[in-house]
Amino acid sequence: MTATNSQGSGSGRSGFSARILGGGTEPDPRFTLANERTFLAWIRTSLALLAGGVAVEAFMADLFAPELRRTIAVLLLVLALVIGGGSFFRWLNVERAMRHKTPLPLPWIAPVLAAGGALVAAVMVIFVLVRAT
Amino acid sequence: MPLQNNRPTHGDPGLQPERTDLAWGRTTLSMLVAAAIFLRWLPHHGWFVGTLVAAAVVTALAINLTRKRRFHRAIHGIQQESMPPDIASTAAVAVSVVILAVLGIYTVLFLPLT
Repeated sequence: MTATNSQGSGSGRSGFSARILGGGTEPDPRFTLANERTFLAWIRTSLALLAGGVAVEAFMADLFAPELRRTIAVLLLVLALVIGGGSFFRWLNVERAMRHKTPLPLPWIAPVLAAGGALVAAVMVIFVLVRAT
Repeated sequence: MPLQNNRPTHGDPGLQPERTDLAWGRTTLSMLVAAAIFLRWLPHHGWFVGTLVAAAVVTALAINLTRKRRFHRAIHGIQQESMPPDIASTAAVAVSVVILAVLGIYTVLFLPLT
């Protein structure tokens, strides 16, 4: 029953999803599932950044100056926002590429994550150095 | 064989439906961890944080309640060698994370510490 339900809703959405996916042919369902897992891994990365940003603001009250705390928290939250939103478009672009059998697009959210993480780390290093002197 | 009707089997030695189901499960847990850390904001930022906690918990619940449906859909897809991508699920989760992040940024920037 569950299976027929999901099939029903799938066909009901097909007009909408066909438009978003831009036609093409259905790829191997294993690839679709792998793409879904990769999307979820990005979402969890985004959630970790989100939790990190909230934790900096909530737990570091006695440790950091308010401006620094706020800067790091907002940086992490903005990174979470970009990675979270970007992961959907990454998923969609991979799905489209698989349907049209074109080369898979490069993940632009990966360098964003790397640069963002480096930026937060740099802010922390500068803060520690400034405080030490 | 009623057992086989209730629990559909598939011929995928890569166990893709199970791995995908577990990935959704881990995402639920991450969402709940985020909700728990939001709770830490309650004494500092007041009732508004309750909406963040509620949004995260509702998303986690929604994912968990639809896990079985997605699992069966994946098994069915492997059996049929064809499965439309689940745009509704991915879009819903991404929108939820984006909303949480926006509310979080709003909280940090505009809600004074009390």
